[in-house]
Amino acid sequence: MSLFRRIRSSLSHTWSLYRSDFRNMDATQIFLLILLTLLSVFMLLPLVFIFNHAFKPLHELFLFPPTFFVKQGTWQNFIDLLNASQDTFLPVTRFILNSVIVTVLATVGMVILGALCAYPLSKHPFPGRKVIFGVILLSIMIAVETMGIPRYIVVKNLGIMNTYWGHVLPILALPVGVFLLKQFMDQVPNELMEAAKLDGASEWQIFMRIMIPIVTPAMATITILSFQTAWGNSETSALFMQNDAMKTLPFYVESLTSNLANSVARQGVAAAASLIMFIPNLIIFLLSQRKVIQTMAHSGIK
Amino acid sequence: MANILFNHVYKRYGKYKEIAVSDFNLSVDDTEFIVLVGPSGCGKSTTLRMLAGLEDVTEGDIYIGDTVVNDIPPKDRDISMVFQNYALYPNMSVYENIAFGLRLRKQPKHEIDLAVKRAARVLEIENFLERKPRELSGGQRQRVALGRAIVRTPQVFLMDEPLSNLDAKLRVQMRSEIISLHKKIEVTTIYVTHDQVEAMTMGDRVVVMNRGLVQQVDTPELIYNRPVNMFVANFIGNPPMNFIQGKLQEQDGHLEFHTNRFAIRLAPQHASAIKKHRLLERTVVMGIRPEHISFEPHRMEASPDSIVTGILQFNEFVGSDRYYHIDIKQDRPLVIRASEGFHCEDTSQVSAAINMEKALFFNKDTEMLLTD
Repeated sequence: MSLFRRIRSSLSHTWSLYRSDFRNMDATQIFLLILLTLLSVFMLLPLVFIFNHAFKPLHELFLFPPTFFVKQGTWQNFIDLLNASQDTFLPVTRFILNSVIVTVLATVGMVILGALCAYPLSKHPFPGRKVIFGVILLSIMIAVETMGIPRYIVVKNLGIMNTYWGHVLPILALPVGVFLLKQFMDQVPNELMEAAKLDGASEWQIFMRIMIPIVTPAMATITILSFQTAWGNSETSALFMQNDAMKTLPFYVESLTSNLANSVARQGVAAAASLIMFIPNLIIFLLSQRKVIQTMAHSGIK
Repeated sequence: MANILFNHVYKRYGKYKEIAVSDFNLSVDDTEFIVLVGPSGCGKSTTLRMLAGLEDVTEGDIYIGDTVVNDIPPKDRDISMVFQNYALYPNMSVYENIAFGLRLRKQPKHEIDLAVKRAARVLEIENFLERKPRELSGGQRQRVALGRAIVRTPQVFLMDEPLSNLDAKLRVQMRSEIISLHKKIEVTTIYVTHDQVEAMTMGDRVVVMNRGLVQQVDTPELIYNRPVNMFVANFIGNPPMNFIQGKLQEQDGHLEFHTNRFAIRLAPQHASAIKKHRLLERTVVMGIRPEHISFEPHRMEASPDSIVTGILQFNEFVGSDRYYHIDIKQDRPLVIRASEGFHCEDTSQVSAAINMEKALFFNKDTEMLLTD
């Protein structure tokens, strides 16, 4: 009983806070609040759909008109997913494992490389740095697909076909990350580096003990960006992996869904796989959401 | 502890070799407190940063002690610096900020702890050692920055406009604290400021700079009373020195200063300088400080030959004194500093006596002080 009372009192306290907020709002603000709330609910719909879809039994998957919410939830789709690939001799867990290895390697690599690249661009006025930064910015504008053939040749000549390096290396450079980090580092006053220099810090110590801790919010953003790039990357599997055992989860999910035009059998499996693909993104984002918003506010991108 | 020597030091920037500092010569004694002062862009900060090793020296040598430090990296020069924006590491606590330099030098833990606590005690920041810089006020941050500088007991202490970001009252307080800190730790200090009051009150000697050139190096008293040129005379002192253009003439055996509106008699002490430079019948600039002109009747009676008359335009009340701006039909109004006791309506006609013994004469073209 006391627990119930406590919950009720905390709820009424929260409500009174809100109420005092509402009281200070004018009509426009209330209108905006309602509009934005509706918009955010609308934005949530795909999430709700992904979660519900994965648990729908076969007959619900093909209902017309389609429903958002699952009526008779079932784990069958996930069981099917685990069993599905056994006829190709490769269980889905193999693709998940590949994805995890590639994603960890690539994310760590992208973040480290991005920071190492942004620091001199931001804080060391070496000749030609504007040109280099310009080229990096330019590369953001080029579609990945246009680089397919040269990439193929490079990967082939490096002899890293059918290895994890073939997944990691082509996506290791993250120009957006370099850009974000550089903008963030630009705002760190030069005096901080100079003070550290006078304190006796080496360039590496300045980077590790002063710069990196200050730009942690930006680093969190880069981590998310890199993670999404790496986790959702199916292209390297398609181009550089002839061996099925080296392919990753997103490629597998795509191959499941791309056959849907004339196949009804894998619909449920695909829904379950989509959810598995999506969940890590959600977790990573929830964990670092606050820092990301800080970065956006700082870099003027917001 | 060390003395410092700048030997014909130059700094040029960029493609067009723009001169930032030109032929800078200065010898600083051990434990001396030197202030570099000048308007923005005069090269004072650049000079300091060259000494710190944050800027390369284009030409010339800088010595700390007996060593040329031109090519020695900053961390090996045994100097510490306080920056205008404090430059505290935002990710570290106050304690870590102060200890950072010692940690990098791999000193034993208990020694670091001792040194940090001692510095904190001197600066009275013991209570916020665990806080982050952003939780401190401006004055407290500046103390932490000072703590970080003194904890290493360096040979030379550099300060680059350390008080500019503080409000006026705190600035005055920190000013006296830095002076007493210097007395306590007795380290050679070079202090850069654009504030002439800081320069005058803090420096054992003051270096006045303009456009990359040293104008004068002297004690505050000499800088104020015997400025070597019109720039220094104008830059130091508030309100600045009055300049009046006129011709020197001899009349009835007396030397007189003639403007187009009035004539005043010179003090005998100026005679030799005028003879030496052959300035009779030549145009010169007379400089006179606002406090050396007086409304007091007994002054005017004592020297009836050095009275100027004009219309009082307006006056400024600054507490103990009032500044009177008087139109004497010259390029600029004459500013007189008088005690609060004197009172006079604006736009009325007033007379004042110039204390000609205190007057200085400058060459109109070179703007240099004319000396014996």
